[in-house]
Amino acid sequence: MIVNNLKLLVGGVQLRDGVTTVTDLLGKMFVRAGLHILAMEKGYASTIYGAHQYDPVVVSDAPPLSYGDDRNDILAALEFDTNPDAPVQPNRDTILRHGPNLKDGGVLLYDSTTGKVDTSDLEARGIKAFPLPARQIAQRELKREVVKNTVVTGALLRLLEFDLDYVLFGAYLEERFGRKGREIVDLNLEAARRGRAVIDEVMKSNNWTSCGYRLEPRKASEPTLLVNGNEALSMGAILAGCRFYAGYPITPASAILEFMEAHLPKYGGRALQGQNERESIRAAIGASIAGVRSAIGSSGPGISLKVEEFGVSGVTETPVVIIDTQRAGPSTGMPTKPEQGDLSMSVFAGHGEIPRIVLAAGTVEECYTLAFEAFDLADKYQCPVFLLTDLTLADGRRDLPESFFTTNRKPVVRHGLLHEADLKNDGYRRYALTESGISPRNVPGMPGGIFKMTGSEHDEAGMVTTDPPKRKAMFEKRMRKMQTYLKEDVKPPQVYGSPDGVPLLVGWGSTKLPMLDAQARLRSEGLETCFIHFTHLWPFPVHLVRPLLQRGSTVIVVEQNYSGQLADLIQQECLLETRRVLKYNGRPYYTSDIVGGVRQLLANGTRVVRVGERAPAVMLETVPEGD
Amino acid sequence: MSTVPAAAAKIWEQNATPKHRIQWCPGCGDFGVLAGLKMALTRLELVPHEVLLVGGIGCSGQIRNYLNGNAFHGTHGGSLAYALGAKMANPELTVISLAGDGDTLAIGIENFVHVSRRDPDVTLIIMNNGVYGLTKGQDSPTHGLGQSHEEYTEEDPPFVDPLRLALTCGASFVAQSFSGDVKHAAEIYAQAFKHPGFAVVDDFSPCVTYNKFNTYDWYKEHVEHIPDGHNPADKQAAWALLDEFDRRGKLPLGVIYQESRHRKAHSRLPMWDEELAEASPEPMFKLFR
Repeated sequence: MIVNNLKLLVGGVQLRDGVTTVTDLLGKMFVRAGLHILAMEKGYASTIYGAHQYDPVVVSDAPPLSYGDDRNDILAALEFDTNPDAPVQPNRDTILRHGPNLKDGGVLLYDSTTGKVDTSDLEARGIKAFPLPARQIAQRELKREVVKNTVVTGALLRLLEFDLDYVLFGAYLEERFGRKGREIVDLNLEAARRGRAVIDEVMKSNNWTSCGYRLEPRKASEPTLLVNGNEALSMGAILAGCRFYAGYPITPASAILEFMEAHLPKYGGRALQGQNERESIRAAIGASIAGVRSAIGSSGPGISLKVEEFGVSGVTETPVVIIDTQRAGPSTGMPTKPEQGDLSMSVFAGHGEIPRIVLAAGTVEECYTLAFEAFDLADKYQCPVFLLTDLTLADGRRDLPESFFTTNRKPVVRHGLLHEADLKNDGYRRYALTESGISPRNVPGMPGGIFKMTGSEHDEAGMVTTDPPKRKAMFEKRMRKMQTYLKEDVKPPQVYGSPDGVPLLVGWGSTKLPMLDAQARLRSEGLETCFIHFTHLWPFPVHLVRPLLQRGSTVIVVEQNYSGQLADLIQQECLLETRRVLKYNGRPYYTSDIVGGVRQLLANGTRVVRVGERAPAVMLETVPEGD
Repeated sequence: MSTVPAAAAKIWEQNATPKHRIQWCPGCGDFGVLAGLKMALTRLELVPHEVLLVGGIGCSGQIRNYLNGNAFHGTHGGSLAYALGAKMANPELTVISLAGDGDTLAIGIENFVHVSRRDPDVTLIIMNNGVYGLTKGQDSPTHGLGQSHEEYTEEDPPFVDPLRLALTCGASFVAQSFSGDVKHAAEIYAQAFKHPGFAVVDDFSPCVTYNKFNTYDWYKEHVEHIPDGHNPADKQAAWALLDEFDRRGKLPLGVIYQESRHRKAHSRLPMWDEELAEASPEPMFKLFR
């Protein structure tokens, strides 16, 4: 019997089968029962209806280190008939895709409305199969197809022997449907009981006493929130004082725009859905000119369209936070698949040179904490600040204690924004030459503080100039801000383990969790490594990084892109050789990818290992005739 | 508009490029726009520190520095979008976008269309001369005004009419002025500033160097004040007026359309430490428990 340690994958047809309805409901219940959740691999397609969708959820006693490998303990297949994506595979699509990854001795629950599936190959591996005619029960017996997923939920609760008195489940139903009337709550409770009865029957007929997995409630120590990276980032931004947000619809950043539209007005702010990507960032720059903390959010293709405005922000010295929830590029790429391909763009994109700061979150927690930092740095350095996340983080959910959010909240301090009292003397110069490179900033509406700002080269008063000494002085003033940042605000990479004489595993972004997991696995196999995780990527802290990297035996950068963009940056800035483990097949890094990649690099001495060749649980492209 | 006392007009010359340093060609129509702006701003007793001038790219955009008031100058085609964001953030500001016809109707037409729909309380003065002056006279989208073509090509299409486009897109104030008639232009600008919504003023501002067709003399022959009887609140009348002037080969000067939309009032967005300190996370936290 395995207690409180499992990975449950729910799969089915996108939009129709309600995959995330089930995972959202179960996730909430598990967290309320004091269990921990990590669900970072949500798989969906860039279509609305019909494609395969899946959502693996790790449930455990202690906060899970990582989502591990693509091996699952329990598989719940929701589709009841033909998947339009796989017309010759009635109600078998999810089983075909994910069955091979089901662990020996695992559990399969599937909708058998259209007939039982031959699962003998799985059963031969000790997997317990539970056919459940969920749709039939919902439609025929309960006359409401919509409760199909509640039947499945009831079955899953029974399998996991969790909340069998329906205390948590009942409370959830009350919250969700209470206002719609008692009947809806009762109908759902009945649906759950019917699902449970089917499981009881299968158990009995097979003489099983348990499915092998069980979840036990733990005492919830404190109020806990179940959030994804986009939500954590949005909350962080609002609490950091962001009061103007603009975005254009794009996966996976749209959810930030929707969150801001729903919540910013409650805080006196406004969220603008731009008519295009350029309007979004220009309006945000406009709001920032007026003095408001402003941000835009998009993903790769949208960020590309905004590049000209990076220069405007940099040269006019107008702060703006640019959130890039990276997805697989280039061009339209794979809109619903993860990648870390925008680092070089964030650091280098645009004509000419500007001061800019690039931060990248590696976890849901860092999405929250870096939001505060991003707005502070933008204010202080009056330049574009990039906050990179990626699709894995954007959609990835985990539970975090409420105290995490309250203790990591930082008070808003508007660095360097002049008040009326500061402007008593005439002759305010917007671009005053200073040692730090930072010129006191003023907002329109202040007597005595009239400014002229421009993206053309200018003198201290903001008047356009091409005078060589003035140009040189102003360029240097702008770029000097980056030296000040490196002295005062840059954070060194996070170091896990001692770097001396061991291979250094280096990463950034959402690879953080599988990297930590891989480090632990390598250690258990007898290979000691040191893991170095970057959050502050530009200006590159050479003075902190080079001495650190020189202490290891070799530098192995693990990235989710084709060329190794951080590795290139390290080579360029530190003049140190790097080796690379790279994955760009559109699936997140699994622990085994990293362990395997590192082992391979160390064994054969090559410079680059490209992982992810093995097709990860995809349907057969062609199905033999007559099947 | 009455003559402005000289001392009051001087306010608008502080914090600005001195007159002798202005880099427009002698006789440029933009001088008329500048004079008209000073008259209108003075007349309305606006104060420079509450004004935000957003300049476009080109000869026209330089006007932001020839006038007192806060100024911003970003990308080609972007001025209206910056103005939109600034006005949304702080409705207490008087936000004026000053851009050319290329900036507004070519590279920035996306903003012209959608800002017309959004209707922020922003005034746009298109300093329209039919050419890209600063890059030495290439055709702009308003090139060809008053000229008949035997045949058109993809390279040389008919001109865009900013007035009809503004009406179509929902601008709530549409007017036309001529920088050669400064007093009238100033009157139009003042009405535009007072209008509580997006005000488009298409101002004929001749390029004496590169547009040898639409000259002051040509404009003087073709412009005509809108008759007193015109009701700007009547959109059909606005369309009819444009058609009627077209038929006669004339260019209307004055307010063609004005109808205020019902708008939801917004306050200045919170921005100071003390305004942001009290924000409670509870409305957000409760979603995720």
